[in-house]
Amino acid sequence: MADQPTDLPEGASRRLAELEGGLFTSDLSVNEFLLIKEVGFHPLGFVMGSSIYHTGIQTRKWGQSQELTKLTGAMYEARELAMTRMEEEADELGADGVVGVRLDVNYYEWGKDAAEFIAVGTAVKAENGVSHRNKLGKPFTSDLSGQDFWTLMQTGYIPQGLVMGTCVYHIAHRGLGQTLGSAGQNVELPNFTQALYEARELAMTRMQDESNQLGASGIVGVRLEEKSHQWGSHTIEFLSLGTAVVKTSDEVTLPRPTTIISLDN
Amino acid sequence: MDELPGDLPEAAGRRFAEGSFTSGLSVPDFAACLQMGLEPAGYVQGFCVMQWRWYGMGMSFGAFGPTGRANGQGYSEAWQCPHGYVSAEHRGWGQNYEQTWIEDAWREGFSSSYERMLEEARTLGAHGIVGVVDASSPLGDLGLLEFRVQGTAVRVIDGPPPIGDRPWTTYLAGQRLGKLIEAGYAPVSVAAAISSVRVWANCITEYLTEGSTTNWGQVAGAEIEQTAKAHMAVRRIARERVRAALGGDSLHGASLATTERELGQGDAELQCILRGNQVRRFKDFDPLAAPRPTVRLS
Amino acid sequence: MTTASRGGDRTEGEIDLRAEMLAAAHSLNGPASPSGPSTTSDLSIDEELILHSIGWEPVELVCGMSLHAVPMGVWNWGQGEISYASDAYQRSFAKATDRIHRECAKAGGHGVVGVHVEWAVHRHHIDVTLTGTAVRPVGSKRVTAESVFVSDLSGRDFTLLHTAGWAPLGLAAGASFVYAPRRSLGTTMKQKGVNVELTNFTEAMYSARESAMERMQRSALDLGGSGVVEVKVTEGPMDFARHAVCFMAYGTVVHLVADEHQRMQPTVVLPLDDAVLSFDATSLRGS
Repeated sequence: MADQPTDLPEGASRRLAELEGGLFTSDLSVNEFLLIKEVGFHPLGFVMGSSIYHTGIQTRKWGQSQELTKLTGAMYEARELAMTRMEEEADELGADGVVGVRLDVNYYEWGKDAAEFIAVGTAVKAENGVSHRNKLGKPFTSDLSGQDFWTLMQTGYIPQGLVMGTCVYHIAHRGLGQTLGSAGQNVELPNFTQALYEARELAMTRMQDESNQLGASGIVGVRLEEKSHQWGSHTIEFLSLGTAVVKTSDEVTLPRPTTIISLDN
Repeated sequence: MDELPGDLPEAAGRRFAEGSFTSGLSVPDFAACLQMGLEPAGYVQGFCVMQWRWYGMGMSFGAFGPTGRANGQGYSEAWQCPHGYVSAEHRGWGQNYEQTWIEDAWREGFSSSYERMLEEARTLGAHGIVGVVDASSPLGDLGLLEFRVQGTAVRVIDGPPPIGDRPWTTYLAGQRLGKLIEAGYAPVSVAAAISSVRVWANCITEYLTEGSTTNWGQVAGAEIEQTAKAHMAVRRIARERVRAALGGDSLHGASLATTERELGQGDAELQCILRGNQVRRFKDFDPLAAPRPTVRLS
Repeated sequence: MTTASRGGDRTEGEIDLRAEMLAAAHSLNGPASPSGPSTTSDLSIDEELILHSIGWEPVELVCGMSLHAVPMGVWNWGQGEISYASDAYQRSFAKATDRIHRECAKAGGHGVVGVHVEWAVHRHHIDVTLTGTAVRPVGSKRVTAESVFVSDLSGRDFTLLHTAGWAPLGLAAGASFVYAPRRSLGTTMKQKGVNVELTNFTEAMYSARESAMERMQRSALDLGGSGVVEVKVTEGPMDFARHAVCFMAYGTVVHLVADEHQRMQPTVVLPLDDAVLSFDATSLRGS
């Protein structure tokens, strides 16, 4: 069992103790539960981490497209705190990893500048006792579903961690002259193109950096989310998420698929 | 088809005389019907408009109401106030009772529209009606409730005309009907029943429902027993009504929809509609082999 | 996605649907010959067929409902847990479960599957309603209300777990209600424009979430289960009091009845239905 987590609330320790005593909980569907068992893993317990973070306003120039680095930092830090606490809970349970991780953002009645960032998932452990922790000796995290986990494990790759990169970008408001100039025409708006391009690239690069830190061979299941949260439509957060994986064996044990044609709609 | 049967409107006669059919079936359902040897004959419907008032009907009770049942029939449970006489405003008396007049009126509305749909089906020489949809909705603010039942009339190719000239009916259509048949069940009829229970709150129920913390002996956080019993009763009655009409048949794919209307001071009106397919076994129970699990790579 | 396709190919015992339909139509013209007491069920025909494949059958549609009062003033702004609300929820859930147990046993069922769990928090009462279909192994005797199981697993999931050697014991639920912490004016001024974690807020919400899960675990342990599957977690503020937040978790408690977990060894299939996979330019995943 790893070091005592210092950051978790008291209620968490009680709950985790019950799970260590032999009860498992999981928010996996029955399908996912059975598939996890198929590849020799057993669920240990539902794990979660959360952080309520103040996402302060950052001054920005109305007419310039730029990254809002303070906000980027805040969004990143908030999610990291939530994820780290979830990992600590998994660590406490002696898990090899967490599957089905979901990252959510909730807003409540304490004002629009603060939000709660939550990370939840199901901690799992290999039944044969062989450690599947990642290069840093921590339980891997992944947002793979039970089905994707089952598939991945049979291709000779194993997950290392959920990697993310974020970038909060402010899109310049267009000056009056520019707006009048292109009114009524279907033209490319180079400001916007440039801004969005740069923002997405930043997010993805940062995600790749995290993956490199884990010594991964690549990233699977990448998705890019774009949200304005509470900042108005000219400020967008670009979040890039994926699961970093590493190759452990050349053997692909996934059985060859049978082709079927199903006639229901 | 010279004369129009029953009380169907003239337009219905014209529609059926045309020969080609309209059907409410989707393309896959249509294909599945043909596979089963069911030939669509036409779209059929029945309507009925009833005058309707949900409450204000039936007797009301004051603080010193009689102990008899509302109209001598149906579920009824009395809730005495434990306090003895307190004041004219204190609700010394409460009762849960079944509003049988509402249930009977609903049944009349539903069966009138259902019978009209069957009549339309008969003029087409249909054996059954599939994909039935039924609804009851208020007409504006006029105090009226309209009942609608609609479906696709079908003929079983080489099949016998229905007994008593009453086509069989089912909510199912297409593939799902096919599965029902494969499983050994024959569709008999759609089944629908309503139950309606009124809660006249006694003092304890009123205080608990209003969140009152005055000390009349109610325990903060207790169960609001009168209302809970009414909820259990309204669901039980709907099921009993449907069961009574089943004979030896079974009810499949049922849906139980309950609504509650809070009337203030702890009073409430609960209503439950149970719908389902009445089916009959025509083949012995023959279990399938255990299904084979697959994982789909998409 | 795991699907359960009908056993093997359709070559053995191919069903002539037309002939079956004709037989059904003819049977309706005879008298109703009851092959047993009438059953009522809200399972789909697919679920019923899957249950039949392990020798179980539906018996009757059953339900249980309860509501407990929440006194006035509970929702006004305060601190920490709103224990009146959490208790009312817990008690409503327990009493509703008790009632559905009794209906199930009375109908001759051994357990209830496909339970819809409906719950509503009103200003002065918390309601819980459970509706499902009582099922039993074909031809079995009655059991007592205490030994009945209740689960929100569909007929299909129940069958899959059964085949793998697991059986449901009951529903475990936990809820906690908490006041969202208020910020004092002093701290507001200090924290404006600075990105920091709000530690006392975090602590309050995190604890409440853990509480709800812990209560669910406790009720699972009380049932003697070894695990809880398909846990559903919902959270959110109350409509009528937006500073009060509710965390709710429930799932089905299971235990291993076989000596060990039975592997399924699923077949991997590659469906060829979608002739043209549309390429969605806005997502990086071909769906």
